[in-house]
Amino acid sequence: MTEKKPFKTAELMKEMMKGYYRDGAHAKENGIPVVWVTAVSPVEIIYAAGLFPYYPENFGAVAAAKRVADKLSQVAESKGYAHDLCGYARCGIGDAYSEEHPVGEIVKPDITMVCNTQCGSLSKWFEVASRFYKVPHFVLDAPQIGNEPEELVTQYFIEQLYELISFLEEVTGKPYDYDRLNEVLKLSSEACRLWNEVLETAALEPAPFGFFDACFHMAPIVTMRGTQQAVDYYRALKEELDERIKQGIPAIPNERFKLYFDHIPHWPKLRWFSELFASRDALVAVSQYTHSWAYDFDLSRPIESLAEQYTEEFVNRFFDYRIELKKRLMEKYDVDGFVLFSNRSCKPNAFGLYDKRKIITEETGIPGVVFESDMSDLRFFSEEQIVDKLEPFFEQLEAGKES
Amino acid sequence: MSSELLNTFKTAAENYDEDVQQWKKTVGGKAIGFLLTDVPEELIHAAGFFPFGISGGDTRMDMADAHLQFWACSFVRSSLAMALEGKLDFLDGLIIPHTCDTTRMVLGIWKHAKPLSLMDNFRIPKQVERPSAQKYLVGEISRLKKLLEDFRGSEITDEELWQSIKLYNSNRELLRKLFFLHEKNPNLLGNRNLYTIIKSSMVISREKLNKLLQELLNSLEKEEETSSPGNHKSRIVISGTLLEPMEILDFFEESGGVIVADDLKNGFRYIESDVPEKSDPIEALAERQRSRIPSAAYDNNNNPRRDFLVNLAKEKKADGVILLHLKYCEPENYDYYDNYLALEAAGIPAMRIETEFGGVALGQLRTRVQAFMEMVGGGGSD
Ligand code: SF4
Ligand code: SF4
Repeated sequence: MTEKKPFKTAELMKEMMKGYYRDGAHAKENGIPVVWVTAVSPVEIIYAAGLFPYYPENFGAVAAAKRVADKLSQVAESKGYAHDLCGYARCGIGDAYSEEHPVGEIVKPDITMVCNTQCGSLSKWFEVASRFYKVPHFVLDAPQIGNEPEELVTQYFIEQLYELISFLEEVTGKPYDYDRLNEVLKLSSEACRLWNEVLETAALEPAPFGFFDACFHMAPIVTMRGTQQAVDYYRALKEELDERIKQGIPAIPNERFKLYFDHIPHWPKLRWFSELFASRDALVAVSQYTHSWAYDFDLSRPIESLAEQYTEEFVNRFFDYRIELKKRLMEKYDVDGFVLFSNRSCKPNAFGLYDKRKIITEETGIPGVVFESDMSDLRFFSEEQIVDKLEPFFEQLEAGKES
Repeated sequence: MSSELLNTFKTAAENYDEDVQQWKKTVGGKAIGFLLTDVPEELIHAAGFFPFGISGGDTRMDMADAHLQFWACSFVRSSLAMALEGKLDFLDGLIIPHTCDTTRMVLGIWKHAKPLSLMDNFRIPKQVERPSAQKYLVGEISRLKKLLEDFRGSEITDEELWQSIKLYNSNRELLRKLFFLHEKNPNLLGNRNLYTIIKSSMVISREKLNKLLQELLNSLEKEEETSSPGNHKSRIVISGTLLEPMEILDFFEESGGVIVADDLKNGFRYIESDVPEKSDPIEALAERQRSRIPSAAYDNNNNPRRDFLVNLAKEKKADGVILLHLKYCEPENYDYYDNYLALEAAGIPAMRIETEFGGVALGQLRTRVQAFMEMVGGGGSD
């Protein structure tokens, strides 16, 4: 396959992320406490408090992409953490107990702040971490909700955000700066809007950008939303995409199909997957996963809006509503098929996929497939098994085009 | 006298649907199942329904394969499999406490695979000590109450609720008496009977349960006068999510081990705390939920689990702690190592044993228990 022309912004991002990690490593020297946060959590609160938010999930993803997740995991396993726990957690715990740091050491927390919108695994991991590093721990609890937002849950979360703010005031000894929160939220909002625009280019035919590109370009929206840098970055990326659209540079050479993918990418084999799909002329265009960070804040009600956005995320919705959301995205991006990843690391996203596959196909007629592996640990990856699973699916796609 | 009663409990635990079926026939009421055990059963009872505890079991696990990956815990897999096999067809509803990602996800699966008229999660808060938790929990319990009211077609009155709370409190009190009697004189009941009674208490009608328990206590107290507790037994604490398989209790018995405490959802944790009988029943139910024995399901800063375990072991003068780990139970797995370290630091022997619903090699399990008992200096029995 011909090598795809790399994005100019890719370099920019590498620099930015390097800077982010540098800041993290030096935060303590500069008297800035490091707060461990989760990917789907109101990080705006942390940025506005002048603290450094660090994403240990990201550390896990990097370890996975560099194919050392199994090594770190084995250290955790030797202590009795089972290999079926979330791979990110295994990497983080493994790093804590490890003498060797193949991807650099995880940035140690001064505070752990977990929001359980995504899952319960993170809560438990952060509990473990807060004990290991002996730092204060804060839980932002987001009970799961159904079709309609619930006053009970929103109010509970709002109250907790105020509890969080008091907690931060106590730890830092500084009064909370609500004006700063407004500014941060504005920046976050702008970055999210741009991110959403970037993602939406995948609906074009042919598209200049797809899911695997999004996986590459998502680090800033996850870790740096709320900063000017993230805004600048996605503006540059959007400009570059507009340019590519003009010049007719597609994401894959010969797009004939669009696919929907759930959920988290397979980090160590990202490239293998992207090439596999491209070789079948299938662009993986959309996923609930990358859309997670396309928040839409109401700047006139900062706290309320944070509560709504972070509790109403798709990962915190009941089964049937999640199906609805998937169907909506499939329709919006006009996909020909969908691929669901039964990811051993991620029980909250993997459990239910078998039934969802069936239900979605029954209701929409769109073919789908579920494959098994682990997002980070190659011990649970079998190329052969996955190809065997996908082959009949690709045939179905072809048959669909012919008819 | 007591042996006859013990048999009644044993039969009830084995033929788990007998009492509920009978009750349905005579009363014409509805049965609401729940997964173990962080569910306010008092509400279900107050609505006039039969609260039925689904304890999983040794069943055809392959029934669950099409719906749930094999790396889901065997408690949930086997419970779902039971439903798919038609073994829970007497249920009219199901309430699943959100204790972990598995219980969070299985509700939707269950709804499609085996729909019932009333199905919902009970969304317990994952932090229990800040003021927001109590307020939320009151709201969540009220939501559940409304759900049950809609299902029965009329309001649940405070009076009904208080009646159920009192009944449950007295159930628990009797069960605790039994538990402490066992601790004091392990020859009376034995490990297996004690936990079988707790298990059966989730499937016997609560009114009937009280009568049976009272009778049993009366006769045991009489027997106690003439029976000596013996003094060669090792005192063991079991910590974990769920007690399974029940045979493990016999293996301890064989090696002279008495279970003197636990933090299991289907053990002492189920009966430990009562609902305070104060002015507002919903507030009271919420308070009980927040002050239960710490479990891996939620964060408990002021009463952290590992300290709780160390204190428990000390207070009960335990010779050792078994960390019973249900395979693929994620919350429990995250707690394990720190629990272990805390016990080790306190000089309390501890060992992890992994189990599963169905398919446990009993011979191996027995060997592991024996090894542990030797380690803690047991082995002698009287
Ligand atoms: S991969 Fe899944 S289990 Fe792991 S942190 Fe993310 S949402 Fe949680
Ligand atoms: S808490 Fe553990 S045993 Fe209970 S349902 Fe969840 S995974 Fe299974």
